[in-house]
Amino acid sequence: MSVLDIKNIHIDFPTSKGVVHAVTDVTLSIEKGRRIGFIGESGSGKTTTALAAMRMLANPGFVAGGEVHLNSLDGNTNVLHLDDEQMRRVRLRKISYIPQGAMNSLNPVMRVDAQIWDAVVAHEGGLSQADLQARSDTALDGVGLDPKVVGRLFPHELSGGMKQRVCIAIGTCLTPDLIIADEPTSALDVITQRHVMQTLREMQEKIGAGLILIGHDMGLMAQSVDDIAVLKKGVLVEFGPVRKIIEDAEHPYTRELISSVPLVGGDSFLSAQASPPKGEKLDQPLLELDGVSKQYGAVTALHPMSFALDGEEPKIISIVGQSGSGKSTMGSLMLGFNDPSAGQVRFKGDDINAMSAGAKLAFRKQVQAVFQDPYACFNPFYRVNHALKFPYENFGMGGDVQTAMEEACTAVGLDPSLVLGRYPHQLSGGQRQRLIVARALMLSPKLLIADEPVSMVDASLRATILANIHDLKDKHGISIIYITHDLATAYHVSDYVMVLYHGHVVEAGPPKEVIGDPQHAYTRLLIDSIPWPDLDRDWGDADDARAALDELARIGGTPETVYRGDIPGFTLGQG
Amino acid sequence: MGRIPLSYLLNRLFTLFLTVFIAATLIWIIPRLSPVNPVDVMLGRMASGGGSVENSGAILAQLTERFGLNDPWYVQFWLYIKNTLTFDFGISTASFPTPVASMIAAALPWTLGLMIVSLIITFIIGNLLGALMVWEHTPRLWKVAIPAAMVFTSIPPILSGLLLMYIFSSQLGWFPLNGAYGLNTEPGWSLDFAGSVLYHGFLPAMSIVVVTFGFWALGMRGLMITVQGEDYTILAKAKGLRKRYILYRYMIRNAILPQITAFALKIGMLVAGQVLVERIFAYNGMGKLLYDAILDQDFPVIQGVSFVIILMTAVAAFLVDLIYPFIDPRIRHGA
Repeated sequence: MSVLDIKNIHIDFPTSKGVVHAVTDVTLSIEKGRRIGFIGESGSGKTTTALAAMRMLANPGFVAGGEVHLNSLDGNTNVLHLDDEQMRRVRLRKISYIPQGAMNSLNPVMRVDAQIWDAVVAHEGGLSQADLQARSDTALDGVGLDPKVVGRLFPHELSGGMKQRVCIAIGTCLTPDLIIADEPTSALDVITQRHVMQTLREMQEKIGAGLILIGHDMGLMAQSVDDIAVLKKGVLVEFGPVRKIIEDAEHPYTRELISSVPLVGGDSFLSAQASPPKGEKLDQPLLELDGVSKQYGAVTALHPMSFALDGEEPKIISIVGQSGSGKSTMGSLMLGFNDPSAGQVRFKGDDINAMSAGAKLAFRKQVQAVFQDPYACFNPFYRVNHALKFPYENFGMGGDVQTAMEEACTAVGLDPSLVLGRYPHQLSGGQRQRLIVARALMLSPKLLIADEPVSMVDASLRATILANIHDLKDKHGISIIYITHDLATAYHVSDYVMVLYHGHVVEAGPPKEVIGDPQHAYTRLLIDSIPWPDLDRDWGDADDARAALDELARIGGTPETVYRGDIPGFTLGQG
Repeated sequence: MGRIPLSYLLNRLFTLFLTVFIAATLIWIIPRLSPVNPVDVMLGRMASGGGSVENSGAILAQLTERFGLNDPWYVQFWLYIKNTLTFDFGISTASFPTPVASMIAAALPWTLGLMIVSLIITFIIGNLLGALMVWEHTPRLWKVAIPAAMVFTSIPPILSGLLLMYIFSSQLGWFPLNGAYGLNTEPGWSLDFAGSVLYHGFLPAMSIVVVTFGFWALGMRGLMITVQGEDYTILAKAKGLRKRYILYRYMIRNAILPQITAFALKIGMLVAGQVLVERIFAYNGMGKLLYDAILDQDFPVIQGVSFVIILMTAVAAFLVDLIYPFIDPRIRHGA
């Protein structure tokens, strides 16, 4: 029996530039107890379609046509015909919503249990304090949180995974017919993601609700849902059982979404260049960390670490780790944005934190950076030319700026006539991120430090941007430090991988060894937690996810390093 | 949350004391940089009153001695600090020999009454209207009317005061033109007197409310827009909570937090008074006292009033520091 039927729904957003048809003629049914995945890129209408069922479209969106039937309603089942009070009663009691932002989805000034109570009271009226307490205890217990402790806490005292489990507790406490989970794990690392997703599945199965899982990660979908609906620009392009979609997709867009997920051990998305140009021969290593550590107050972000990258032959060194592993701290230390608490960071033999102003300028020119957020990297008041031109002129590069900009754009696969002269907000995230790479390239640096360069870009563009970055090594002879949480991309682009955990290197070596055949318990845990778009690969159940957290606790704070072999041109200090 | 740790309390108290001490020192130094000699000014005032002053040299010397101006600076400073801490601000040079402390004591309650009441009214009205500007369920008429009312914010308080006086006192005769209480009422703890004070305070308070509520409303509007887009507000709606509950417990409750800090800082500033409002309504508060003292170059009064203003601001900030962790659990009484 279907819980929700969406029939020929159209959703429009009137804007100053005319009406945007966000969703066009989508028809779908969600069966009781079944999980359905809505997948598509940002702007594909996946969230909009799901929120229309709750009548919670963002302003100024409205349903321009079609019907949404919630079959457990008495009488008229079309939710679009309910008045505001009837609709309010449907929310949470019939259809619940688990939001995307794990960090911010709970009211910061209310205790956790009070945020369950207000939901219960809004639908069931005044209950006694003891009854309310019993309800919140049951709800928290169901998602594996200790109600005695967690109930009394404020949201800022919880980790991201715990917050999201509280949201699941709220979303299931009134046993709704349908749960809409909007990228519930996108802000979490893979180990926590697996745990939260398994908790959600467990609760959904227990109460027998239908589940709409909104997301862009084909791997997560493959491991979590029964059916997949693929949306592109507001149109439902393909719908079917998960195995059919993953193994035998009909629509080319679906196949593109699946193939854009890089797989460990799968085919490389890079075209290998026979002989990358050699860098200059140096007496000193290009970049050297000598016993570098970093402490923030009592917290050690990075334990003493030494390595040397000689730079004669360009290399891509990946630093892989979860949030809080110290990988971004390493990036900022290498860029000289942060002073190390101990040790030295040396560039061509000079301590970068003890350089003269002139030497520092030369260092800045030769060491460029690409950061995570392509939206925050441009000054919104200037055309993008300014961002490209300014460093070029500031560093006194000879030659014609216009030509240099056009060449750099072409090198990263952008048409100069389409991007130059525009404002940042007129470009997509992918275009902006490629422009950042182009800007770095214009200065012909020796070293590029790329901190999560593709984590905020749509999946289908990730491979392209990584290929651009890879080209910097192959065609322009630039060495690259690639900082990421994504093991699969690190597997493909890098020459050497270091896995970071709590500021320690736990495993290091060539990617085929470290990621292809992990030996350290932590690396294995990471690889096992990745959801692959491969239905024959077991992602485990809720118990496995909990066992993984126990395993993590056993690894503790001072793990051993496993060395998996060396490559020429890079030495990691041992011990 | 919970109990305030002693170390935190001591830390904040020390900061409070240091702030007041530094401010008091500055208050002492700044008039001494002025080329005006207060004793000359006094003598000048006597001369303008009685034509010529005999033995002016002797009087000058005597006054200089009386005010302690012959002592070395550190003795003067020490006496100043010692006296200030006991709220002894010396004797007014303009209204000689009235002690400054008693002048302030006479003016302060009026200002505190008028200004704090109007500040609280403005704070509530301003924040509520600011919140309603953003809330999606606000009636459409209000959404037009509130921004339109912002026009008043651009009127200087003297004008709004005059306007209110013209309409409500001169034309309608509903409220008195000036004074803090009726001439035929005896000051004291009587119902009659209290009524008279409220009656006289209404127009000055309104003239402040009308011109200042926009400050709170606009600030609140910006904060509400942020809160409105927060995931917790969206989740609150998805939880099927009632819209008023969401407005108060999820939106205003979070948006108001920075406004509370601003409120504390405003308290100090308001003690200085809406000088012009007090002038127009002939309201005998701190603003009028300060205004007159500046005109008369009455240094002890200026010093005393300035000190009280700074003390109020520092104490208000201190109290907010203590209260804040109770209203925002993310802020902890840290070491």
